[in-house]
Amino acid sequence: PCRAQPKKKKKVDVKREQAQKDRMKKKIKKLEKAAPEMIPIEDFITPLKYSDSNRVRSLPPLSFEETERRVLLMKKWCLFKQKQDKAEWKAIQTLVEAQQEALKELRLESEELYQAAIRRDEGLFPFERDGPNYTPPLPGYDPPEGKCVDITKVYTQ
Amino acid sequence: TAAAPRPWRLFGAMCLVRLPRITQPLEKEEEEIAALMGQIELEKSHYSDHEIRKLQEEEQLRRRKESAYDDDDEAPGKTVIMAQDLEDKWEQKLLQFEAAPRITDADKNNNRTSLNRKLDSNLMLLVKQKIGNQELWLLPQVEWQPGETLRSTAERAIATFLGDHIQAKILGNAPYGIYKYKFPRAIRTEDNVGAKVFFFKAFLQSSDLSQAELKEDYLWVTKDELGDYLKSEYLKKVNRFLLD
Repeated sequence: PCRAQPKKKKKVDVKREQAQKDRMKKKIKKLEKAAPEMIPIEDFITPLKYSDSNRVRSLPPLSFEETERRVLLMKKWCLFKQKQDKAEWKAIQTLVEAQQEALKELRLESEELYQAAIRRDEGLFPFERDGPNYTPPLPGYDPPEGKCVDITKVYTQ
Repeated sequence: TAAAPRPWRLFGAMCLVRLPRITQPLEKEEEEIAALMGQIELEKSHYSDHEIRKLQEEEQLRRRKESAYDDDDEAPGKTVIMAQDLEDKWEQKLLQFEAAPRITDADKNNNRTSLNRKLDSNLMLLVKQKIGNQELWLLPQVEWQPGETLRSTAERAIATFLGDHIQAKILGNAPYGIYKYKFPRAIRTEDNVGAKVFFFKAFLQSSDLSQAELKEDYLWVTKDELGDYLKSEYLKKVNRFLLD
């Protein structure tokens, strides 16, 4: 009788500890199974301070002539862009035709040179170039000093 | 049957293009639309912090004037910077800055050998070469030698006329155009009927050519000015692969 009792305590403890551990493991598994929290896109959330009513601009309403003028201008623009696009397309067509003609003549000349010409040029892409600015660079211009501190928020899932 | 040796001599020519450095001026429609878009954006926008501050300060000033200059107890000793003052200060700073002119001296003198001319359009290199017994203005070309590809012929052409230190990005291995011509009957033989000139295109990367050892006469011209120098048949073929 004296021996049996302490043994029971140990068994019950062990059982209770085992049960506790299982419960903890189940909770951990549930948390892991839940979908990860979405990273908020800061561009799509307008901060509340910009929806104040005193922020709304007060301008006189547009007159009839103004709306007419705008509609006509948009139509002119549409036509202008269409013509521009067609001209670009035509230019690219002539470019391609000229190249095809040149390659045809080259093939007549020598097959070997032709094969060398139609091979892909690996060094061409990626092609980088600084775009044109409004004014040319000023020689001897000293730009003012400054430090740029990056404060973008980084989210981890 | 074995292939007979072709009677055409091959030349590789390079069209070296200096890309534009400044933007082209806007057309009339483009300017009108730009103004309209700005106006629509202004109408659809809300007030910014700076504008709200400006409006509030104007209100305060107006109220102070109407209530006839009493309560000045906030202002003694403290100078308040108004939004309007800030705007004036920024305006002054802008006026002090002088940007480089878009129309350079080379434009005014019409110095066609300089690279600083016509900064808003493409400039092509033309060289004076002796063909047969004539001196002609051409895109730089050299004769093809067996064992090299046509692209390396074109690279050799640049090196011959401008020296080795020119950096140019050649656009691909394939030729862009071809000019075929037959020799005048006096020189024509069985093996030497005429010549085929294959054109390649490259963009000029190095910005200054002070190190270039130019042996012959050279010119940098735009697409419209090519007609002043090139012969009509040659010009027709060249214009096909040049974009404005």
